Order: sequence, then structure tokens, then C-alpha cells
Amino acid sequence: MGKFPPSFRSAISTSMAINPSSLATLNSPSIPPKPLHFPKKPAKVSRKTQNPNSPESLSVPPQLRSLFKSPHLSDAKKLFNSVVSASKLQLDIRLHNSLLQSYAAIATVQDSISLLNHMIKASPSFSPDRSTYHVLLSQSCKAPDTLLSHVHQVLNLMVNKGVTPNQATVDVAIRSLCSSGREDDVIELIRELSSKHSPPDGYTYNFVVKHLCKTRALATVYNFIYEMRDSLGMKPDLVTYTILIDNVCNTKNLREALRLVGILSEEGFKPDCFVYNTIMKGYCMLSRGSEVVGVYKRMKDEGVEPDLVTYNTLIFGLSKSGRVKDARKYLDIMEEAGHFPDAVTYTSLMNGMCREGDTIGALRLLEEMEAKGCSPNSCTYNTLLHGLCKSRLLEKGIELYQMMKSSDMKLETAAYATFVRSLCREGRVAEAYEVFDYAVESKSLTDVAAYTTLESTLKWSRKAREQGLAV
Amino acid sequence: MLPQRMKKAIADNPKKVANLIDLVNLPSTVREFVGQSQISRLGCFMRVWSYIKSNNLQDPNNKNVVNCDEKLKRILLGKPQVELTELPALIKLHFPKEPK
Repeated sequence: MGKFPPSFRSAISTSMAINPSSLATLNSPSIPPKPLHFPKKPAKVSRKTQNPNSPESLSVPPQLRSLFKSPHLSDAKKLFNSVVSASKLQLDIRLHNSLLQSYAAIATVQDSISLLNHMIKASPSFSPDRSTYHVLLSQSCKAPDTLLSHVHQVLNLMVNKGVTPNQATVDVAIRSLCSSGREDDVIELIRELSSKHSPPDGYTYNFVVKHLCKTRALATVYNFIYEMRDSLGMKPDLVTYTILIDNVCNTKNLREALRLVGILSEEGFKPDCFVYNTIMKGYCMLSRGSEVVGVYKRMKDEGVEPDLVTYNTLIFGLSKSGRVKDARKYLDIMEEAGHFPDAVTYTSLMNGMCREGDTIGALRLLEEMEAKGCSPNSCTYNTLLHGLCKSRLLEKGIELYQMMKSSDMKLETAAYATFVRSLCREGRVAEAYEVFDYAVESKSLTDVAAYTTLESTLKWSRKAREQGLAV
Repeated sequence: MLPQRMKKAIADNPKKVANLIDLVNLPSTVREFVGQSQISRLGCFMRVWSYIKSNNLQDPNNKNVVNCDEKLKRILLGKPQVELTELPALIKLHFPKEPK
């Protein structure tokens, strides 16, 4: 099987857990498990944009995945017939949908439609339902096609068979279009579907806003929002504002972020934990420690309970702006409030300590962290390696590097550069070459980046030696 | 010590990167060593360095020094010994700047 839209992914993984033999005996399409969108994003957005009526889950039993090997229609029909004749049980609709989906992954839209027609003819008990059409729709949205002709074809087919597109249909179409990067078509299709059938629901709307934020200029996003407001009366909600604020904060456009926060309260929304976290992150990016604490205080005043992300952001921001003592204080506050500091918390704090030159303190914190049962990640080690090299504790740094190497951890650019520089400064060029080899071999950096660093470091150390500066 | 920002600038500079990875027609001496008529500066460095490693040419007493064998000597200005520190610079000599 080829690609699945992200919204299907969790559905697939859950279906994998179901025993395939029991699947055929399920008589009706069961209520789908709620798919979790944005699986990679932090929980803050996914929790709220989870779509209750998003695409019906289409389970593909593992053995069907590789069933269709050839995109030719005649082969597919033959295969389908053999499946029907081989199974003694009545095939249920889910199996049909799965078959159709696995064929759609490799065939053209036209052929998939033909296969569906063949299925209807060949097995009289099968009557396609909404999710069947959604399979085709999702495929047609991904087909390379500059006009929306295939999409229209499938939609017409749906309407002719008496299945009117609803919000779930819109959601399937929009997500599939977004995943193939056709943002202009998305806006056009929303216009069309809203006038003819069904407007998108809040989840789809926020999904589009989020996707546009990632791929287009801010003006396009605002145009979309205004258009939706004027034509459909859809207003941005708290989640939309969170997405927008997050986006402008990421581009360090804090003025716009503050404007949005102003609008947010004008519109009568009460900022929640996620909004505050996002604003806090914005201040962190600009290393404005006192504002970060300000946001935290305001949260407390407004009675919004800070969560783990809040504390992590707070500690990160304070460490970044050089207020390590305060950051350390919040580590204790956080633990008192019942949150368990994780690797991110500790790493941020260690980073701050290393910046201040308190590398020994950072090492002590590593011990403390491990004692509390929190295991460090590669970022933690990179931070420490960087810090150790900066504070000229090369031996300890080499020890740490050996440990990282033995557990196949990747080196980060800054840690790598500092480490190579420290080795060269001590005249241990061969070891620097060895680190270079490891960086290339472990694919920590690109060959070019690794080499450029090595070359410029060597050039610098030669010059320094000529002037009698280094060893 | 190179400041962080400057180093980043080198890695991001497309011209510098091109200078590293563009294939260059080689002079006959280097062509003999690498066995092909074109190679990038980065590729050449990797080739020489792996040659040094696989033939154990590093001085056992001082790993920072390479005792050149005949083959290596030919492309590194005929020096019997080179330091690892100067290796990139020596290889760079075979890749002159393109005239504008």
C-alpha cells in the first residue's frame, strides 16, 4: 500500500491490532475510532482539532495490502472475483472498501471507479456507502490534475447515487488536497462545496488555516479567514487564534501576535493554557525573560492552570535569557505543582547553566535527573558536550563523546563544531578527524557542513600556531 | 576562534558550497590518484583521507602526522611527511579558483 492521508494513519494502526480473521465476520461498519490528526505535532493542537466526523475509518487487513500488484483494471477485476469466490463468508462492506482502497493506491481514478462498478455488479450484497465514495474522493484529490475535474467526477457520482456530500466529505477532500500541496484548489473547492452542499466544519476550517499558515504568506491566510467570515459567517475560534498566534510568533512578529491577542479578548474569548503557552514561546524566541515570567504571572492571575509545556517554556525562556537561578526556582515550583520535569526541562536548564559557565553544575543536574528516573536524550548530551568543550573540560567532553558514540547518538552542529575546535586547540588533530568521520558516518551533519567546519577550524588553528597563540 | 555566525555563513553560502561539491576536471597527477577524471574538492579530500586510513599512513608515534607513501607524495607537493592540519589546504591547491 502506498500513501495514506495522515487522517487515516491512526485508523490503520488500530486496525492492525484487530485480528484479521475476526475482521471478516464483523457484519456492519463499526463506529470508527477517532482518528488523531497531526500526529507529530504537540498535543496542544491535536487535542482540539480532533475531528469527530472526519473520514470513516477504513481498515485494511494486512494481507490485503499487497493484494493488488498491477494497476490494470482487468487484473484487478480477476483478483476481486477470486477473492469473492474464495471466501465462504458473506463479504462485508468494510472488506469491499479496503479492497477498493488498496487498488486506488496504485491505479488511476477512472479505473478505480470502474472497479467499484464491477464490485457492485459482481456482489449484489454490496451497496457502496459514504466511506466507499470517500476512498475515491481522497484518491481523486491526490491525483495529479491541475483542474478539479476528477474531484468533480467523484462528487457527481456520489450525488447521483444519492449520497450527498456532508462535512465529513468536505474534510476528506480538503485534507487530501492539502496533503498534496494544492492550496489554491482547496480554497476553490471550499467555495464550491459550501455553495452546493455543505460548508466545512470548524475542524476542517482550522486545519486549512493551519495548513495555509505553514505554506502561504500571512496575507493569504487572512484573506481566507475574511472570505469565510463574509460568505459563510464562519468566525475564527480560539483554536484558530492559537494557530495564528503560534504562526506569527514563529516568524518573530510579536507585534502582530499582540494585536491578535487584543482581538482575541475583544471577541470575548478567554485565553486558555494553549494560548498562553504560545505567547510565552514567542517571548522566549526573543529572549525576553521578564515578559515570559509576566505571562506566567498573568496565567496565575487569570486562574489558568499551567501545564508541563508552560513550565518547560518558562524554564527554557529564563535559561535562554540568562536567568538560570530563576529557572532553577521554577523547576522546584513545577515539581511542587505535581508535574514531572522531563528531558526537555532538564536540557533547557543545563543549557542555561552551560552558558553561564557552570558546566559542573550541569553535570550534577544530569546525575540528579537520572536519579529521578528521567533518561537524557541526544539533545541533553549535545548540550553537555558543547558546554564541556566551552569551559575547557575536554577530557570530560571526550568521555561523554565516547558514550554518545557507543549509543549511536547524533551530534548537533554546534556541539560538533565546538568539540572539533577544542580538539584542534589541544593539538589533537587526529582525534578531530575521527570525530569528523563519526559525524559523517552517523549522518549527524551533511558532508559539506562537517567538512567546512573541519577545514575552517584547521585553517584557524594553523594561523594561531604561526602566531604562537595555541599549543 | 571563528565566531559562530561566521561559520554558519560559510555553510550557508551557496558559492562556497558549490566550490566544495562541484565536479572539477583534474590535472593528470590527481587523476592518477583518484582514478577518475572529475571529482569535487570534498570528494577528493574524502578519498585522500580514507586512503590514509586504509593504508595506515598515520605516524604511530604522532597520529597528527602522515607519512606519505609514493602515491600520496605525488599529489601532496612531494612532501615525505604532512600534518593532518594542512591536509585540506594541500588538497585545495589542486582546485584553483575559477577565473571570473
